[in-house]
Amino acid sequence: MIKMITSFLVGSNKLERLWLLAKIEFKLRYYENNLGLLWALLKPLMDVAIYYIVFKTILKTDVPAFASYLFIGLILWNFFVESTSGTVQILQTKKYLYEYSNMNKMEIYLSTLLSNSIGFFFNLSMFVIFLNFIETDLVGLSLLNLWIVPLFVILFILSLALSLILSCIYVLAKDITQIWQVFTAALFFLSPIFYKLALFKESLPALTYINPIAGIIINARKVMMEKSLPDFGLLFFDLGYALLLLLIGLIMLNKIGARAAEKL
Amino acid sequence: MEKEFAIEAKNISKTFHISEDSHNTVKNRLFNIFKPSRSRYVPAVKNMSFEILKGECIGLLGRNGCGKSTLVKLLAGVYPSDSGQIRINGSTMLMNLGVGMSHELTARENVYVSGSVLGLRIKEIDAIFKEIIEFAELEEFVDTKIKFFSSGMVARLAFSIAVKAGADIMFLDEIFAVGDVKFQDKAIKVFESSWIEGKTVILVSHSMEVIRQYCNRTAFLKHGELVFYGDTEKAIELYMEDNQ
Repeated sequence: MIKMITSFLVGSNKLERLWLLAKIEFKLRYYENNLGLLWALLKPLMDVAIYYIVFKTILKTDVPAFASYLFIGLILWNFFVESTSGTVQILQTKKYLYEYSNMNKMEIYLSTLLSNSIGFFFNLSMFVIFLNFIETDLVGLSLLNLWIVPLFVILFILSLALSLILSCIYVLAKDITQIWQVFTAALFFLSPIFYKLALFKESLPALTYINPIAGIIINARKVMMEKSLPDFGLLFFDLGYALLLLLIGLIMLNKIGARAAEKL
Repeated sequence: MEKEFAIEAKNISKTFHISEDSHNTVKNRLFNIFKPSRSRYVPAVKNMSFEILKGECIGLLGRNGCGKSTLVKLLAGVYPSDSGQIRINGSTMLMNLGVGMSHELTARENVYVSGSVLGLRIKEIDAIFKEIIEFAELEEFVDTKIKFFSSGMVARLAFSIAVKAGADIMFLDEIFAVGDVKFQDKAIKVFESSWIEGKTVILVSHSMEVIRQYCNRTAFLKHGELVFYGDTEKAIELYMEDNQ
């Protein structure tokens, strides 16, 4: 695996190309509309506001620092949805890249996810500012916050894996787009995004593990808000989960994705 | 000088599987599990073996539907082959009426993306960027999305990128039909000076003039089979007979 990655990156213009494609993708997404980059920053804030009103003002949940609690959950979730639902049709929309040359398809996926990562980075910076200046119940930053990096890497691998799997299924069955939409809607409510964690674990104990996002969100809150180490059992479980899916995704890309040029 | 292979193909074949009813949704697949799908197999390329040396210019002849385009796509690595193996030595670029360009991007972005896909570094593209735009005669439309371009403008841009950035192995599928007479003259000049020298070119054309003028060797295809591969004059003769 590591050998594959290094041989992939060393000695060519691949890194440059990934960055170029990611930048263009990012620009296409945000600079095409009137609000521009502001929209990227506004969206998570608006999401937080909506769920805050529903769960805090109306349903009177008693989670402390609920806005931050929502915020970190939602930006992780948004990255996941953008990178999976947003890429189901990637082999179709990015056909122009591989139809006329022997470009590696993996680069198309990586650059799109990289572009989403730029968005995530903006959101995370907003979250950190929010946490420090607005949410005054909690104490400021600590080195433990850096644990968000490996957690994000796991989320990245997981999203990449599902993106590979879904876009390959799309080659064979177009309605995977709709099916996945329903599935993510269900998954959203089965993730501990706005529930109190204890309540979530008590009602649906198995889901902490079955739902791969749940573990990542739980751990991200630990390291960003509770100033504690992540739950390592959960962290390694999620890593294994993501790597397993990635393996399936890579096999599918080789078997089905390779035929995309003739099937789509 | 030692012979270096640009492309080595062994026993390659390609069969297209065309299904006649739309079994391309999950719903359809589930509802029709026990109903066999009506489908046909179209053998497009049948068991070919050959090699192309570095720096050669190879012609590809054959009537419509004989598998030329499929063969080119197999060799360029766009399609995977069903059997056998292809060894490609270098980056490839396939050109027919357009090269891979996104209509959502501007001319500038397309130049950078295509250049990068062809293996150039950003600095190298910076260096040739002006030449590309000048050659395409698109100075005024650098930052215009190419969906607003006329088809001639798109084709000129594609051709200019190919000329200036070019891959190691170029597959040219009827490219001399691009642009007006002035542009064509310019294109042929560049083709002669920069591609015939130093690059491996596979030329698909129905113009005997072009094939005769540039190709050292020519392949003649019929019904997906490689009938002849060698001397250009002989291949043209066979092709002419086939057209009778």
